[in-house]
Amino acid sequence: MNNSLIEIKNVSLLRNEKSILENISFKIEKSKALNLYGLNGSGKTSLLKIIIGMTEPTSGFIENVSGDEDLFKKIIYIGHKYGIKGNLTVEENLSYALTDNFEDSQLIIKEALETYKMTKHRGMLTKNLSHGQQKKVSLMKTLITNSLLWVIDEPYSALDDESINIFNSATKKYLEKGGSLIMTSHKEIKESFFTTENYKIYS
Amino acid sequence: MPIVYLLIIIIFFNISISYVAKDIMLELLPLMIWISCLLICILNLETIFKEDYDDGTLEMFLINNDGVEFGILIKILSHWLLSNLPIVIVAPLIAMILGLDVATTLTLFLTLLIGTPTMSLIGSIAAALTISLRKNKILVSIIVLPLYVPILIFGTSAVNNSFFKINYSAELTLMSFLFFIFLLITPLACSKALKISLD
Repeated sequence: MNNSLIEIKNVSLLRNEKSILENISFKIEKSKALNLYGLNGSGKTSLLKIIIGMTEPTSGFIENVSGDEDLFKKIIYIGHKYGIKGNLTVEENLSYALTDNFEDSQLIIKEALETYKMTKHRGMLTKNLSHGQQKKVSLMKTLITNSLLWVIDEPYSALDDESINIFNSATKKYLEKGGSLIMTSHKEIKESFFTTENYKIYS
Repeated sequence: MPIVYLLIIIIFFNISISYVAKDIMLELLPLMIWISCLLICILNLETIFKEDYDDGTLEMFLINNDGVEFGILIKILSHWLLSNLPIVIVAPLIAMILGLDVATTLTLFLTLLIGTPTMSLIGSIAAALTISLRKNKILVSIIVLPLYVPILIFGTSAVNNSFFKINYSAELTLMSFLFFIFLLITPLACSKALKISLD
């Protein structure tokens, strides 16, 4: 049984004749969280974009070793832009994100709202929410879809302590169910609710 | 909004050419309406993908890339329905009010009906290419203008021929030909262009 999802092999990225990433290799493993950390501008976001296939690396490649051909369709990516529509309500945004036709979709959305304690905001337009609440809405999307991998760019930014705890326990549950997480942050995560591997990116 | 622009242009045009003989005015009228429709179509081309790009939905849409091309076509269709279809309906009515004969009005309607979707399709490629620039409006117009010339030539010539009771089926055929070519090319070109500009 193969235990990794994606293998990153010798990835390098050049931008405007400046080297951003150099010879990076690691594996994303099943049921594990991976934290990419490094200084500002060290190329964390670029690396995430390479992994999800949005940016083409200058050299090296990303290999799908999970045995599931549709793996890249089962990735949820949450970047600096939250990907939510300001003119839709929280609930509408979530039902738009539902990829599969669950019969109990309303229930799933309700659960997600309850997990992040946003039930009373569900009828509000997301453009009227605060920055942190918008972030929570985009994080809620991870809860309502069947995905194999969460790719989250700085999950902890803009969140208060309570929401960080909620995110941590949701992630723990997800990892136990067999999902994987790859995220970026500014610092090494030493102790957390879930076991995290750290990978430092040097610029 | 597009209809308001059209009305403004037509009112100004009629004021400015009120010194011209009526038959010459009638000859110019359909052509003028065609040009103003073309200009109005350029006005908000860059908004096709802009909002999705700004709030990040475009990224997510492209990552799980199942049927991106189809989604792009729907996007263009909705843009056309909102910003061009009103003109296609209203412009012939205005032409009738101003005294254009029925046959020419019908040709005007037909050519606009074929021409404006083609313009939306071409424009969406330009919009996709320039989406990562903050002020892409000027660039979109510059890219798009030379590509609109054939449509303008065929459209106005069809209307003109119809006014003088000459056969204009060749122009209509060529216009529909252009439309179908771009219907095939645009989704592919757009998805590639969007991926490049999100890079």
